[in-house]
Amino acid sequence: MREIRTLIVDDSSVMRKIVERSLRQAGLDQMVVYEACNGAEGLDVLKSKNVDLILSDINMPSMDGLEFLRQIRAQNLAQGVPVVMITTESSEEHVKQAIMAGARGYIRKPFTAEQVKERVLPLVNAA
Amino acid sequence: MAVSLRESVQLVSDPRNLDASVEEVFRLMLGVNCWRVPGPIVQEQESVTAVVGFGGVLSGACVFKSGSSTAIRIAAHMTGMEFSEVDDTVKDGIGELCNMLAGAWKGKVPELAANCGLSVPAVITGRDYHLHVQAPEFKLDHAYRFDDASFAVTIICDGLQ
Repeated sequence: MREIRTLIVDDSSVMRKIVERSLRQAGLDQMVVYEACNGAEGLDVLKSKNVDLILSDINMPSMDGLEFLRQIRAQNLAQGVPVVMITTESSEEHVKQAIMAGARGYIRKPFTAEQVKERVLPLVNAA
Repeated sequence: MAVSLRESVQLVSDPRNLDASVEEVFRLMLGVNCWRVPGPIVQEQESVTAVVGFGGVLSGACVFKSGSSTAIRIAAHMTGMEFSEVDDTVKDGIGELCNMLAGAWKGKVPELAANCGLSVPAVITGRDYHLHVQAPEFKLDHAYRFDDASFAVTIICDGLQ
């Protein structure tokens, strides 16, 4: 599999490690990982790095995940790159808001590596 | 129409929702089975407490508390790393654990999931401190065990619309 450049956005460093580990367990072992602790930092990364995949939490200080998504579109960053939300917010309304803002997938915390594989790999393989 | 949970308070305060949430989070994120036990938890000299607030149709908090060695074991299970003390990564892990417990619990009631937000976690470490909540609407205060470690999870509701 080709090298995948992945941006993981979450205010918890532990969760960023867990997400990275889950992605590697899912088969993305050839992966370069960039990290950000909120949406604003995530935008800074996207302005200087090309990525193939973005995973983002929703509830974060400074800039939450939904605003991060909107700003990616508004600033024409990471065009065509799939964004998957990984979050504790589980309501249908939150899922709908994320999809309307541009997310291509949604994973609820707590999650398994298998769930990450099911939701993320098809998006990466389709790119 | 405004959402009201007042008529669903029995559903919201059902203790089985909390038990199911705790068991699910520990099974999926730590890979361990845990079960509810009669309290109180085993006391250690130093403890770690995480608090995540609720706001919206329900106001209150989810509180996780354990001894420091239990917190270290939990963080090790979550990350696959080894820790010799309660450092910033351990605190981050406990905060994130509490975040997931709060989210899983509120997800058990659809009206709550859609109309109640979570705060970012706060983590307190130290000894000889107690959490006091004035006149809660309801409180669920449960102790759990995994392996030979114990911890407590408390849901406090101080307002229900």
